[in-house]
Amino acid sequence: MTSRITIDPISRIEGHLRIDAEVDGGRVSKAWASCTMWRGIENILIGRDPREAWLYAQRFCGVCTTVHALASVRAVEDALKLQIPPNAQYIRNLILIHHALHDHIVHFYHLSALDWIDVMQIPKADPVKTASLAQSLSSWTRNSPQEFKSAQDKVKALAASGQLGIFANGYWGHPAMHLPPEVSLLGFTHYLQALEFQRKSNQIVAILGGKTPHIQNLTVGGVANAIDLDSLGTLTMDRLTMIRSLIDEVIPFVHEAYLPDVCAIAGMYPEWFDIGRGAGNYLAVPDLPTDSSASQFDLPGGVIFSGDLAVVKKFQTAADPDFRLAVTEDATHAWYKGGALHPWQGQTVPEYTDFQENGKYTWVKAPRYSGRPTEVGPLANVLVGYVQGHSLTRKWTDLALGRISAVAKRKVTVDQLQSTMGRYAARAIRSAMLADLAVQHCELLTNNILGGDVATHNPPQFPKGEIEGVGTHEAPRGTLSHWVVVKDGKLANYQAVVPTTWNASPRDSKGNIGPYEASLMRNPVADPERPLELLRTVHSFDPCMACACHTFDPDGREIAAVRVL
Amino acid sequence: MSKVLIAGIGNVLLGDDGLGPFAIKVLESEYDFPDNVELADLGTPGLDLPAHLAGADALILVDSAKLGGEAGDIRLFRRQELLRDRPRARIDPHSPALSESIFLLELMGAMPRELLMIGMQGSSFEPGSTLSTRVRLCIPHIIDAVRRELYRLNVWCAPKAKHHAPGIWWDSLRPEASSKALLR
Repeated sequence: MTSRITIDPISRIEGHLRIDAEVDGGRVSKAWASCTMWRGIENILIGRDPREAWLYAQRFCGVCTTVHALASVRAVEDALKLQIPPNAQYIRNLILIHHALHDHIVHFYHLSALDWIDVMQIPKADPVKTASLAQSLSSWTRNSPQEFKSAQDKVKALAASGQLGIFANGYWGHPAMHLPPEVSLLGFTHYLQALEFQRKSNQIVAILGGKTPHIQNLTVGGVANAIDLDSLGTLTMDRLTMIRSLIDEVIPFVHEAYLPDVCAIAGMYPEWFDIGRGAGNYLAVPDLPTDSSASQFDLPGGVIFSGDLAVVKKFQTAADPDFRLAVTEDATHAWYKGGALHPWQGQTVPEYTDFQENGKYTWVKAPRYSGRPTEVGPLANVLVGYVQGHSLTRKWTDLALGRISAVAKRKVTVDQLQSTMGRYAARAIRSAMLADLAVQHCELLTNNILGGDVATHNPPQFPKGEIEGVGTHEAPRGTLSHWVVVKDGKLANYQAVVPTTWNASPRDSKGNIGPYEASLMRNPVADPERPLELLRTVHSFDPCMACACHTFDPDGREIAAVRVL
Repeated sequence: MSKVLIAGIGNVLLGDDGLGPFAIKVLESEYDFPDNVELADLGTPGLDLPAHLAGADALILVDSAKLGGEAGDIRLFRRQELLRDRPRARIDPHSPALSESIFLLELMGAMPRELLMIGMQGSSFEPGSTLSTRVRLCIPHIIDAVRRELYRLNVWCAPKAKHHAPGIWWDSLRPEASSKALLR
């Protein structure tokens, strides 16, 4: 028997991701990913001054503010062939790292942990046993029986009051939930602690960027931070020390709570390393440049095709010649005019038809790499680094796989990271790497300043005529690229190819399905009314549909509904 | 009252959705606030909202709202009204997350004690548009509501002796007009 499931946000103005799936014999046999909101926001930028584009780009998405700001200035700098001073690289890198850590922590604990943790099991846990389990997993200082007892009491109080609040509509008791109560309590306790560390990470962004969520210190050619070790209102030694001490508080949470939690939960759900393999093609761009000319990077990039982890095409630069040529956006199944175009020729002309499963069905175009549907994100990041032998990637990946395998009592391999659970693991691995790199880049910045270099900015000069540029950033959700065409000092075209566009992309002119759609194929569905398994797989990508508006609806139509036909 | 956060929520590139951040800019340009009051343009932070709201003792939010009436209509919401609906399964971190954020903050023991949400009905949410005339004319109602709440909280804000332009850099569709002011 075939049934059809639609998971659809039902709000009237803001629309985001909609998932349609056909389920046959308890498994997904067909899937469609659709974005229900128009993404033509780049059109706002045409005709503007390229130096101010980043301010607007920063508002494309309320969650990914800094990443769009950065990709935008990098795109204009690429068009101008403008190098930026080392201090500007390090300051930008520190902002990026802490934005990413904040984002990954929110994703795991607040967006997706309760897909795996059954909150209603928490009252059954023994806090003392939980503490000894936790202490066997890591040396995190806040793993005491009291800490677990206090978290458990909060759930008990909610359950006793009959007002479950935030937990009122979870898929509790779902057959696909099978974590022991103690592991649930462990994860949930860190869920409560996570907010504190997100805020500390955010504080670092605010110190360097002026404000959050919208940083103010970027400028085409560098950063606007004045560096003067003795004066107030600038980047002083005091502030650098404060940043370092915040980093020292965030790192233990990542290394001793987040990563061990993911490994423990992943090890308890080993079957999810065999579910949710996506398109099999992976793209990551190099990031965290360590010199002015951006020739060296602390995060490597490249492409892997057909899930073949023996071969990686390595990128030498942030916008590798191969990358520049290989990217197209195909509008065949999206509500825009036109077929497959390179982003510099890209158009954003709407052609809405309604949801047609064999025709146009989404506001997301289909980015393709050399014509292939390609996954981006922490998994791509980790695989591309691992296969080319990047030592930091290997160190944390091997450690994580070792722990997962120990809990699962079976070997979980790098190849199996190509799965729903692999994406969660990869995000935690990447966070562990970023925590190490936070220290490194803080030291690079401090030492460079102590060495007497206080330069932060090279002024841009715009030539007459037309120039093109691409700015990339390996953002929390994957490869982000902004493509600009500047004519006589004004923006003539602007296209943002965002990570979720790669992953949530629809079918293309050849009928190839996108990464979400591919990952949903063969997903088990135990109960079509409560498609928890589909949410797990979609959440594993950390979807973020850019350019939402926020309108409060007192009737409460804020969130998603599930429809089964 | 120790720390008061006045926060505008909404996307400034989507017409009337940006009325919250717009109102914050107007407040900043017209009033002097004591040091314990912070004004913030939070954009559309989705699930990042709790991190921004934690730590405040009183919270005043300004957001566009679906009130079902005329553009520019205003309604005030306290905690109970905001929490009438329960959060459900969420697909992405981006969807409006006000009630979810309040639940989270309460669970973590970080919820501000005082909460007021000032909601205003918008009319146009098209990319690239500025505020509709109707909403623009009604912004002073938001300013009044903020001032009344501050008065209730025993917080004093004084009109600036000298007004300056609010400096709303996104408030122009004409590329020429907006660029000068914001370039350093």
